[in-house]
Amino acid sequence: MGADAATWLARIRALDLPPRIRIMNVCGGHERAITLAGLRAALPPGVELIPGPGCPVCVCPEEDVYEAIQLARHEDLVLLAFGDMLRVPVNLPRREIRTLEQARAAGADVRPIASPREAVRIARAEPRRQVVFFAAGFETTMAPVAAMLLEGIPDNLSLLLSGRLTWPAVAMLLDSGRPGFDALVAPGHVSAVMGAEEWGFVVERHGLPVAVAGFTPVSLLAAFYSVLRQWVEGRRFLDNCYREVVHPGGNAAARRQLRTAFEVTDANWRGVGRIQASGFALRPALAAADARRRFPSHADTSRKRVGQMPQGCDCARVVLGQIYPNECRIYGRPCTPRTPVGPCMVSDEGACRIWWSGGVRERRERAAG
Amino acid sequence: MRIQSIDGFVARCEARGVEREVSLFLMQDETLAPGDFVMVHVGYAIQKVTPEEARSSWELFDLALAAEND
Ligand code: SF4
Repeated sequence: MGADAATWLARIRALDLPPRIRIMNVCGGHERAITLAGLRAALPPGVELIPGPGCPVCVCPEEDVYEAIQLARHEDLVLLAFGDMLRVPVNLPRREIRTLEQARAAGADVRPIASPREAVRIARAEPRRQVVFFAAGFETTMAPVAAMLLEGIPDNLSLLLSGRLTWPAVAMLLDSGRPGFDALVAPGHVSAVMGAEEWGFVVERHGLPVAVAGFTPVSLLAAFYSVLRQWVEGRRFLDNCYREVVHPGGNAAARRQLRTAFEVTDANWRGVGRIQASGFALRPALAAADARRRFPSHADTSRKRVGQMPQGCDCARVVLGQIYPNECRIYGRPCTPRTPVGPCMVSDEGACRIWWSGGVRERRERAAG
Repeated sequence: MRIQSIDGFVARCEARGVEREVSLFLMQDETLAPGDFVMVHVGYAIQKVTPEEARSSWELFDLALAAEND
C-alpha cells in the first residue's frame, strides 16, 4: 500500500468534497479501529462515519437467547456460548432470570468459550452429558462452526444455531429506499472468507461506491479515500484496500464448507425483523446435531416484547445506522458496559460499547435531518 | 499468528510470546508450512497473511486491550 495515514488524510482533504457524505461500515472491528484511532475527528467535517449492522450478538434473536437460557435452566445439560453472549438480556421482568450469566449464578451449567474447538473438547471430556453450543455470528465465525461440524463432532454435542450473513442486511437497507449512507466500507474479515465480490451488488444495483478495508487506520483511510474519490469523480467500482488478506473469491475451502454444512434461510434480526436469505440453518444431513430437534422447545410467545430490543433501548436504530450510539435516550444513563441495558453495550462488537470504551461519555440529542 | 509446527489439521502457532493450537481445517486449499503467517479467528486460521499484515493486526489487538483495561 505504501502511503502512511498522514498521506491518506492529505489526499482526502485535497478532494472537492460535498458538504455532507455518509460512509457506513458493517463490522465491529472497523468501528473499533475508527473509534480508537480517532478517525472521525481527523476527517473533514462533512464526512460522517456511520456504524451499521456489524454486531452479530446485537442482532441475535431475543427468542434464541431466551431459548438458550431455558435450556440451561430446565434441561440437564452444559450450555456453551461465546463470552459476550452471556450478558445479553432478554425481555423479562427484572426479578426473573434474564441472562445466561444469571442462569449460571442460579446453578445452571453455562460456560463461556472462545472457539468451536473448545465445544468439541468439552463434549469429549464429558461424554455422558449433553452439551449445547449456542453459536451466533457472521460468516467469519460460521465458517469455523462449519469446519467443526464437518470434521466430526461427538454425539452428545448439538448446536443452537443463530448464524447470520452480513450483506443481506445492507441489501435490506438499500432496498428500503432510505439507506442512510452514500458509500460503503465493506468488512475485511467477512470478505477474506467470502470474497470481495459479494459486495458488487452495492455498485451494480445501487450505484454506490464500495471499498473493502482492513483494520489499521491506514487501510481504513485508504478505503475512505477510495469511496470519496469515486463519489467526487462520479465513478463507481468495488475497490479492495485489503489485498494482503482479501483475495479474489475469498477462501474457497471455507466457502465450500459453509455450503456443505448450512443452507441459507430467511431469518429474524433482533429489533429489526425478518431479512430475506440472511440466516444459516443446518443442512438435513446434519439435522442430528440440531439442538432445536434434540430438546423440546422452551419458546414462550406470550411474553411481552418477544423478539424486540429491551424497553427504552435504541439498539435497533443504532444497528441500522439511523442514529449514533450516544443519541440513544439512555446512553450512559443508565446504560454503560457495567450496567448494560441493550446488547449493543454488551458485545465487544456493539457500537455503544465501542464508543463508551473509546471515551465517548456524553449523550447528545439527535440533530434534525 | 506464526505457524511453528503442523500436525494434520492442527498447527501450533505463536504471536508475541502467546502460543496457541489453531485449526487449519478451513485452509485445505493452501499449502502451509512452519514460518507462514495466518489470520486466526475463534481458533481457526481463515487466511494466509504476510508478516507485515500479521504484525499490524496484533498492534490493533493490543490497542483494543489497552482500551478495555483502562
Ligand atoms: S446505549 Fe444501551 S440502551 Fe441505548 S442503544 Fe446502546 S445498548 Fe441500547
